[in-house]
Amino acid sequence: MSDERDAAARPAALELRSVVKRFPLRSLAAYGKAVHAMDDVSFVLEAGGSLALVGESGSGKTTTASVIARLYERDSGDLVVDGEPARPFRNRAESLAYKKKVQLIFQDPFGSLNPTHTIRSILERPFLIHGLADGKADLEARLSEALEQVGLSPAAEYLRRFPHELSGGQRQRVNIARTFAVEPSIVLADEPTSMLDVSIRMGVMNMMLDLKERKGVSYLYITHDLAGARYMCGSIAVMYAGMIMEIGPTEDVIRDAVHPYVKLLKSASPSPESGLARAPLDASGEIPSLIDPPSGCRFHPRCPYAEPRCREAVPELADLGGGRRVRCVLALR
Amino acid sequence: MGDTMLEVRNLRAGYATAKGFVRAVDDVSFSLRRGEFLGIAGESGCGKSTLAYAIMRLLRDNARVESGGLLFKGRDLVPMPAAEVDALRWTDMAMVFQSAMNALNPVLSIGEQLTDAVHAHRSVSRDEAEAMAVEMLALVDINADRLRSYPHQLSGGMKQRVMIAMALILKPELLIMDEPTTALDVVVQRSIIEKIEELRSRLGFSVIFITHDLSLLVEISDSLGIMYAGRMVEYGPAAALFNEPRHPYTEGLMNSFPSLTGPLRRMDGIEGRTPDLLSPPPGCRYAPRCRYARPACSVGDCPGLAPSGEGRLSACPYPMGGRPDGGVAGEGGRL
Repeated sequence: MSDERDAAARPAALELRSVVKRFPLRSLAAYGKAVHAMDDVSFVLEAGGSLALVGESGSGKTTTASVIARLYERDSGDLVVDGEPARPFRNRAESLAYKKKVQLIFQDPFGSLNPTHTIRSILERPFLIHGLADGKADLEARLSEALEQVGLSPAAEYLRRFPHELSGGQRQRVNIARTFAVEPSIVLADEPTSMLDVSIRMGVMNMMLDLKERKGVSYLYITHDLAGARYMCGSIAVMYAGMIMEIGPTEDVIRDAVHPYVKLLKSASPSPESGLARAPLDASGEIPSLIDPPSGCRFHPRCPYAEPRCREAVPELADLGGGRRVRCVLALR
Repeated sequence: MGDTMLEVRNLRAGYATAKGFVRAVDDVSFSLRRGEFLGIAGESGCGKSTLAYAIMRLLRDNARVESGGLLFKGRDLVPMPAAEVDALRWTDMAMVFQSAMNALNPVLSIGEQLTDAVHAHRSVSRDEAEAMAVEMLALVDINADRLRSYPHQLSGGMKQRVMIAMALILKPELLIMDEPTTALDVVVQRSIIEKIEELRSRLGFSVIFITHDLSLLVEISDSLGIMYAGRMVEYGPAAALFNEPRHPYTEGLMNSFPSLTGPLRRMDGIEGRTPDLLSPPPGCRYAPRCRYARPACSVGDCPGLAPSGEGRLSACPYPMGGRPDGGVAGEGGRL
């Protein structure tokens, strides 16, 4: 969290400007309609910084990661990585170079490792594809280093195993080792601990924090858990129904949230220390359909403070100063 | 005694597998008062679901209760003939299953599924059954016109509320919930929990709420039981357990949930992984992962629950305060 200090000297690791992503529906009945997965998404991830993208399922956070990783291309808006605007790849070399820079850690440690390959063959691939190893001995040394830095040692012991011989936590560590093997500058982590047993989650989170310090990478950390976001990241962006509702330094956003949805999310999160007599939720309902999103502010049907104008136009992401921006008419008062 | 809803006595239950017998619940005892909310927390494979299924007498064919008693309002469920258990199930004790999303029959309407449950246990007319269904749906804030809806037309939170309505339709005295909110988003999870609390104070049933999410349980439970590798390792009032855990595993679990509003500090979770129940480690099963373990912990029998202060039980023979760095208790027990 102290690492955001000298950010001004370097260009931002990642910048999104009004990025839009829609998925057209293919059925005849829904002809012409689309899922509005990302709408007007803008944020900056400083070099060496960490930003948590928090939201419930269907909020568009995984789509955002996939668009940044360029697993699919955005419909409009700008994506700038290390000061360079992303353009269509002209050849495989460009695509590889981008993927070396921007790496993704998937949520499911069980589905993201090929069950028929040994850990060695899984971990070798990034080195071979990106041509990062200088001969056999060098590859061997790099494999060992990759595993040891995620706490899997002795490396030889793990290299000959298959994924099913490892626990969920160990598999996720292999995933993380694979991610860091190519020395990325931006790591997109999509709920990396949500499928792990609770007692081992902190171990993986701490290891990710240590790796970030040592490698100087930038993290975009996707989670539905506000407390986990606070533990991991210096800044936080809360998404709802495909849009960013509030963004700013983590402590500020959590301590005094401005957007009614962020307040709702905070009041719903488990927090034993805030006492057993908590205030009841002041809103109900669930994330709306993204095929026909509500007009105006997407949160207005659930918002306890909604006014007529909230139905009419989507509020701007207003700048409150201090790095905080909020998409709500209340913030403008 | 009239106040005791359920008493579990030295329950041992497990599964016959190709590799041998896995004792998933090992010597578990606790009692539940009328109207009490008991939370049971533990990681996957700790035996918490097996315990729930054993109480409901719903264990699979390859599973069995080896020994121990399950006294439901004074009657032992273990040796009870199946027909008598059928009469108790749903009417007196009901269960909400883990995957509510898939627990509803996709080809039957919500109304048919709710009234089915009524007809199976009561001889009432179709209109009466439907009236009961409407009443229950209203209690969980679902409009009566949803009776004609099919599960795919409902959101995840609504399906879970239908499951709760279905479990409560015959006004049982004991409700067992196995990870009822795990697949749901936090806001929906919170609204479901508020609903359960409201219904409990209205209808007065007891709840056993099983989950891996200890941070949630601390807020909603009267009592808490912590399970590890088939054993109950700590039991006591929820607030006391949170403020001053007595068992190192409880402390480790508390140390696995970062705080939302408290001071930000490094948390370590727990090293290592849960043991294989086919060959559990000797002595205390938690010893291989315990930061306070001494040589004596890894020999002999696994220690059982013993009194540890007011209304509290812990399976660790060593008091928490006497440990090297004081653990969480030294920091006021805050998460």
